[in-house]
Amino acid sequence: MCGDARNWDEDAYRESILKEREIQTRTVFRTVWAPSLNPNPNPETIVAASSDGSIASYSISSCISKLQSFRNTKAQHLLVAEPDYFVQGHDGPAYDIKFYGDGEDALLLSCGDDGRIRGWRWKDFTNSDVPITLQGKQMKPVLDLVNPQHKGPWGSLSPIPENNAIAVNIQGGSIFSASGDSCAYCWDVETGKLKVVFKGHSDYLHSIVARNSANQIITGSEDGTARIWDCKSGKCIQVIDPAENTKLKGFFSCVRCIALDGSESWLACSSGRCLSIWNLPASECISRTSTRASVQDVLFDDNQILAVGAEPLLCRFDISGAILSQIQCAPPSAFSVSLHPSGVTAVGGYGGLVDVISQFGSHLCTFR
Amino acid sequence: MEDGEIDEEGVIILEEEDAPPPPPPPPSRKIDSKSPYELLQESKASVEDIVSKMLSIKRDSKPKPLLRDLVTQMLLHFITLRQANRSILLEEDRVKAETERAKAPVDFTSLQLHNLMYEKSHYVKAIKACKDFKSKYPDIDLVAEEEFFRDAPQDIKAKKLSNDAAHDLMMKRLHFELFQRKELCKLHGKLEQQKKGLLDIIADRKKFLSSLPSHLKSLKKASLPVQSQLGIQHTKKLKQHHLAELLPPPLYVVYSQFIAQKEAFGENIDLEIVGSVKDAQTFARQQANKDTGISTNVESSRLEDDAADEEDDGQRRRKRPKRVPSKESLDQEGVYQVHPLKIILHIYDEEVSDLKSAKLITLKFEYLLKLNVVCVGIEGSHDRPETNILCNLFPDDTGVELPHQSAKLFVGDALAFDEKRTSRPYKWAQHLAGIDFLPDVSPLLAFHETPNGETAKTDAVISGLSLYRQQNRVQTVVQRIRSRKKSQMALVAQLDLLTKLKWPALTCQSVPWALHDPLCNLHGWSPVGPPPNQALSLPVIDTDQVQEPIDDDMIGRPGTSKEELESAREDGELPLLLPSASVTSDVKLSRSKGSNLEHSRQLTLITKSLVPPFTKAKSQSFKKFDEDSELMLDTDSDQDGPAYIEVEGENSASAQYNEMGEKLWVDYGVREFCLILTRNMDTDKRIWKLEAKIKISMEYPLRPPHFVLGLYTISSGGNNSECDGSEWYNELRAIEAEVNLHILKMLPLDQENYILSHQVCCLAMLFDYFMGEASPSSEKRKSTSVVDVGLSKPVMKPVHPLQQPASQGRKEIIGRMNDRMLLINQKKRKKRIDRLLGAHNFRYEL
Repeated sequence: MCGDARNWDEDAYRESILKEREIQTRTVFRTVWAPSLNPNPNPETIVAASSDGSIASYSISSCISKLQSFRNTKAQHLLVAEPDYFVQGHDGPAYDIKFYGDGEDALLLSCGDDGRIRGWRWKDFTNSDVPITLQGKQMKPVLDLVNPQHKGPWGSLSPIPENNAIAVNIQGGSIFSASGDSCAYCWDVETGKLKVVFKGHSDYLHSIVARNSANQIITGSEDGTARIWDCKSGKCIQVIDPAENTKLKGFFSCVRCIALDGSESWLACSSGRCLSIWNLPASECISRTSTRASVQDVLFDDNQILAVGAEPLLCRFDISGAILSQIQCAPPSAFSVSLHPSGVTAVGGYGGLVDVISQFGSHLCTFR
Repeated sequence: MEDGEIDEEGVIILEEEDAPPPPPPPPSRKIDSKSPYELLQESKASVEDIVSKMLSIKRDSKPKPLLRDLVTQMLLHFITLRQANRSILLEEDRVKAETERAKAPVDFTSLQLHNLMYEKSHYVKAIKACKDFKSKYPDIDLVAEEEFFRDAPQDIKAKKLSNDAAHDLMMKRLHFELFQRKELCKLHGKLEQQKKGLLDIIADRKKFLSSLPSHLKSLKKASLPVQSQLGIQHTKKLKQHHLAELLPPPLYVVYSQFIAQKEAFGENIDLEIVGSVKDAQTFARQQANKDTGISTNVESSRLEDDAADEEDDGQRRRKRPKRVPSKESLDQEGVYQVHPLKIILHIYDEEVSDLKSAKLITLKFEYLLKLNVVCVGIEGSHDRPETNILCNLFPDDTGVELPHQSAKLFVGDALAFDEKRTSRPYKWAQHLAGIDFLPDVSPLLAFHETPNGETAKTDAVISGLSLYRQQNRVQTVVQRIRSRKKSQMALVAQLDLLTKLKWPALTCQSVPWALHDPLCNLHGWSPVGPPPNQALSLPVIDTDQVQEPIDDDMIGRPGTSKEELESAREDGELPLLLPSASVTSDVKLSRSKGSNLEHSRQLTLITKSLVPPFTKAKSQSFKKFDEDSELMLDTDSDQDGPAYIEVEGENSASAQYNEMGEKLWVDYGVREFCLILTRNMDTDKRIWKLEAKIKISMEYPLRPPHFVLGLYTISSGGNNSECDGSEWYNELRAIEAEVNLHILKMLPLDQENYILSHQVCCLAMLFDYFMGEASPSSEKRKSTSVVDVGLSKPVMKPVHPLQQPASQGRKEIIGRMNDRMLLINQKKRKKRIDRLLGAHNFRYEL
């Protein structure tokens, strides 16, 4: 509270009201599980990128223990978790984060609305002893890549296009980014130079995955198609149109998210309220399912598919597109689902909420 | 001696009487030789002889002629008898006369004797009196002899008054004494005279002095018009200051600090103290008596004098009739006993546009004795407490509850402050009154104080006051009240305009939405919702609201749920059918709630409903790992779909209530409105309806209005409205965030009071964009050029060709937005919406 008549600070109070609203409208765009340093099968740390540009790591175990005591007192309330470490990574929302590498040298890559890709040393996150109040601007990125600006006919520069998703190829030492200028970019991690520009989509890119076994990337765009690109040549190999052969043909439907399975031969691709599954070697659509709300993130769990969308549900489909289960989750609109090798899933979304769901489907903890 | 003499004389008399007087010469007696007695006796003897002879004759019957002789003899004898008698009588007279003559000298002599005896006793008496005479001089305090010889004037000393020396001295001394006394007497008279003169003078002056106050008073009265003319409210001020001394300490702090603020900083406020002086004095006296007794008596008497003065000033007529009922009401009110004096505070607009400054608001401060709280109300307003603009002037200060614990304890079971009173015990009022550092207990209750405690207390008060000044409490509060009043007036004006369904006019041109000419219609504006403070009834109503949309949903989208059921059935697992159905209805429950309530609340709902999914999760996991047969039993027992929904609904209501309990102060006095924007889309013959539930809190504009959006379509053919909230969930939330949060950061501070207008205009603009994006015709816009993505769109789009002046080109309009950052910010944010908007398939299945 910002005091009363005794110590009135109107600006601070106004700030606090706005802050409160900001927290309510904050969105977690992406959650990822941190690579575990010790061979403990249980998930330890989750990193969340949210709409205020912050990248924060949370310890699951402390959240759970806090939740225990919390439940006893006020069962009705949400846990407001205090991050272990957080960094104000981007101006504007941070849209995607990914880990690059494993173990000690792991980099945490983040991208956001400011058109930058930044790499943070994960060690610094875990070993930091800076008090939480001083964190935020304190850590400096080890990698900082800025999308190129386009030049207009009279030399005026366009704004820096934002990055909506990133993918990595560790063997090749590259980072791929899906950008708002309808291009995908490939960066070299060592030099920080732009290697390849993938041009061809006619609209905004939403998602990107790397098919490292074939040195390909797959992008999903607002023009309603997903494209498979060859990384070497930068050429489009194949255009996948999930909406083709449907009555929706002719209208645009953006490809909001795409996912590859572990064998990198199956592709899940959601466009609007339609989830389609493709067999890449056969280039064939295997199944097409209509969902109630639009799917906003999709993920392969072995041969099943986890999908979240603009409704507070985590759905599990099989390859044929049949619903196996639906688990209610906290965010009213979920933007991200991530899976830990142990089977624990995390759903992040609107309201700044992250819901951690155990492999058995129970809620481990929910925090904002 | 006399007696003896008398006796002698008596004897003599007796002798004289006894002795047969010397036989007087009986001149006429025939028988001189014989004494009358002898003669008498002879004749008697001869009579008796004759009688005896006569008797004997008669008895002897002798002859009569003898008788005759006898009778003659007898007669002769009678004559002799008479003669003898007469001579005896004569003799007696003569003797008597002789005795008389002899007695006269005796009488005279005895008279003389008596006179002499008298004279003698008189003289004896006189002598005795003379002998007893006493002089006065021993009683007189004479000066000592030496002193007499030293001081006495010569003429007294020289005079010789008596031959006797001692007597002479005494006489002289007496004379001297007399002389001296006469002198002193004279002096005394003179002094007396002087004294009388002085007394006269004093009386004169006293008379003058007693007439002086009335003169002064009339002078004072006469000077009043002059004072008011010159703007020097000296008399009034004095009177007020005098009244201030009677104020209870908290009100005194309020008064003194406001006065100080006014005088030191020229704050545009006015203060006056109203109320019955008499009552205040009686109260002060009561308290003084309770406090220490004697020491304050002087003061109380002084107060009384003042009271008399005060009453002269013509207030008497007004006060008198008032007093009795007020006394009674004091008793009746009991706990809410109010101190008779109150402070009226007029707050004026600080920017003085014309000569007379506009009065913004008038507050009344009063002090509740028993509760030790200061209450504030708006003078002349009888609003319900939740519409009172003073509530939540500072965070968590609704004025419903008593501000401190001791008062709460005092009131006991009635926890809330009396609803009917128009003046409320706001916390800021307590802070203004310095109750946080004044003694905590009511002065009525605190009579037993040790002197040490009092000094400590005064120290605390002094330090508290200095802190008070440092914190600028008065200034803060005055500014807050001023801005609150102004913003409320601005808000009322804006609400009026909206009620008439007119787009609000914006004076600030530097924001994009001010230039946007809305394509959508302002279709409806209506207040909704129950009075917000009825906490108990609210959840009930809310659950009603929740229930309805569920039904709508169910009816509206039977296809989907059926589809889901089928998909579940395809799996061949019948037990799963029920849970999946229940899940979907659950989702709808929370979703529909989301359109009604705050997000936070909605979120709690969801976590609340997290518990049941465990069971579903179990069933799911069962499917995964067949060996978990025990869990299956559990799930079976747990799964009873429809009943579960009911329970959930109730729980959610209670959860909501809890949430309400915590956030109650924010929602206190909240007004809810429903704004409906419609847009007629030609392309698909549908009317799009954007419904915004706007919550305007008392803290407006500090806490800006909160918009919650819902989107519906009405096909132009039929009237069936369809909830499309879920389809555009992200977009609606993004627009909400924009309206509720992001544009506020852009607004210049001087536009603060017009936040609502800005928000409505911005919402209209965003709705237009949204519809533009959603409509298929806008697909043409979609191109790969980055430059087109959001750049300057906010500027260009709104300007309708007809409304755009010929001279104004695109560049000029851009130039008007002098702040380039603003443009970029706006653009970026627009892009964020674009991103969310673009993230969707806007097609609706045909």
